Amino acid sequence: MRKSRYVILILSLLIVQAAALGQETDHYYNVDTEKKVRGTILQIVMEPRYKDRSPFLIVILEEKKTKEMFNVEISPVRFFSQDFHKGEEMEVVGSIYSKDGQKNIIARQIRFRGEIFMLRDKHGFPAWRGGEMKLKKKRKGKRF
Amino acid sequence: MRRLIVYISAFLIVNTALMANTFSLSFDQNMTDNVFQNRYSERDQLSSLSFYLDKDFSKVSLFTEGNFAYLYDNPSLSYYVHDAGLDYLHAVNEKTAFYFSVIGQGAFYRSDYTDFNYLSLHFLGAFKTYLSPTSILKSNYAFEYKSFSYSLFDFVSHALDVSFDTYFQTRTTIKAELSWGHKYYLHPDSSQEEVIEEGQGFRGGRDSYIYMPRAIYEGKAVQIFSVGGLIAQGLGSKIGLSLSGMKQWTLSGENPFTSVEEFYVVENPSYDRFSWEGFQASGQLTILVPWNIELKMGYTRSEKEFPGIESMDLEGNPLGVIRQDMRDMFEVRAEKDFPSFSVFLSYFYVNNRSNDPFFDWQGNFFSTGLEWNVFFGGKK
Repeated sequence: MRKSRYVILILSLLIVQAAALGQETDHYYNVDTEKKVRGTILQIVMEPRYKDRSPFLIVILEEKKTKEMFNVEISPVRFFSQDFHKGEEMEVVGSIYSKDGQKNIIARQIRFRGEIFMLRDKHGFPAWRGGEMKLKKKRKGKRF
Repeated sequence: MRRLIVYISAFLIVNTALMANTFSLSFDQNMTDNVFQNRYSERDQLSSLSFYLDKDFSKVSLFTEGNFAYLYDNPSLSYYVHDAGLDYLHAVNEKTAFYFSVIGQGAFYRSDYTDFNYLSLHFLGAFKTYLSPTSILKSNYAFEYKSFSYSLFDFVSHALDVSFDTYFQTRTTIKAELSWGHKYYLHPDSSQEEVIEEGQGFRGGRDSYIYMPRAIYEGKAVQIFSVGGLIAQGLGSKIGLSLSGMKQWTLSGENPFTSVEEFYVVENPSYDRFSWEGFQASGQLTILVPWNIELKMGYTRSEKEFPGIESMDLEGNPLGVIRQDMRDMFEVRAEKDFPSFSVFLSYFYVNNRSNDPFFDWQGNFFSTGLEWNVFFGGKK
């Protein structure tokens, strides 16, 4: 009786997963359009970027030199793991594309508060992980 | 419950491995002159190899991670820990989101330390909202169930954390935190027959088994509450300074065993956030040096009392006082990220003073490591 309950549970998980497969994306990281932008955060929002994917953390950045505005695409889970505020400075390296008259950057690397966060590899593949919020274990040496 | 965790974990591991998006491999080498963190300093080296796989589908991601650690001088303490889970992020609106994760985990130790083996289930629910563009309110709820080979350690816990932070134009961030936790020991009165023979001990020094259940123990739960604060200041774009402090109280209950101790890198179930009350204060300086190397330097001071844990002399005789520790810790850490891998180097010095002479100790801890990432599938 108990065994059959486990089997039903696992089958349900497989069905949910199968239904969710085969997603397509709208735009890709293009290494040929990479640019470095340094500016001030004006706004922080969560919004959908890719079909059937988790919403992304978007930082609206005003470039220091040109006063141009960029929508910087960070990642879904960084919304929880990083606290950005209006007025803070940030430097972004990423791929630029335009949509609906707005300049967007898919961030590959950000420099913030003296720290560097790698969000994608040099080809643009995402480097963030599921379970970002899980209780941190003793990775990268012990933290007392 | 244990069987359910095994079934779900097996499903998640196999499933994730078959369809991975991301694969990463890391290797750490750790060295210390005090692996058991007590007055009888014992050197050891620990090599740790980890892998990580994940796969996103729709708004849910599956992930699994394995970590094998080998201790050269104490191979009986070597272990393997594996976890597998899934998470989901839900945005309520532009400024507010929820995050949920469920993780099954198993830890398997070699020979002498099989008492530390466990299966566990974690649930995390988190909420974050921007009250204004410069103010954030966050809240987390965490549930944990752990079932050990030695049932004295078995528990169910709940923790609730709430924090508020705000950023000022002076580039100063101020943060306040409140935490509450409840840990319920499922078998605090485990019979002493379950315990490994007295005198066998896990390590040299005091000649008695350390995790004996207490003879007189009332109530099964420990309840804690803490308040904390942080001030962070940006100094130019490459320097960050932060000062933080927290004070924790035990509202009710105490540990059901007679001793509490920490090991270096190896998880010891007698010690966690529920085992102490007191305060902790720390300062940290983060600097981005040339070649984009991240350098962190920190100092932490803590004073902790362990309710229900009596200090003993070196022969194991009770001293009639509750154990109290004062600890100073210095830390230096350098990290460099490359597009496909990252390397780090860290050093800690710890000086722990205790009214239990067995836990009067100093230690030096070196770690270095390499993490390499491989990505599959679409760039999305």
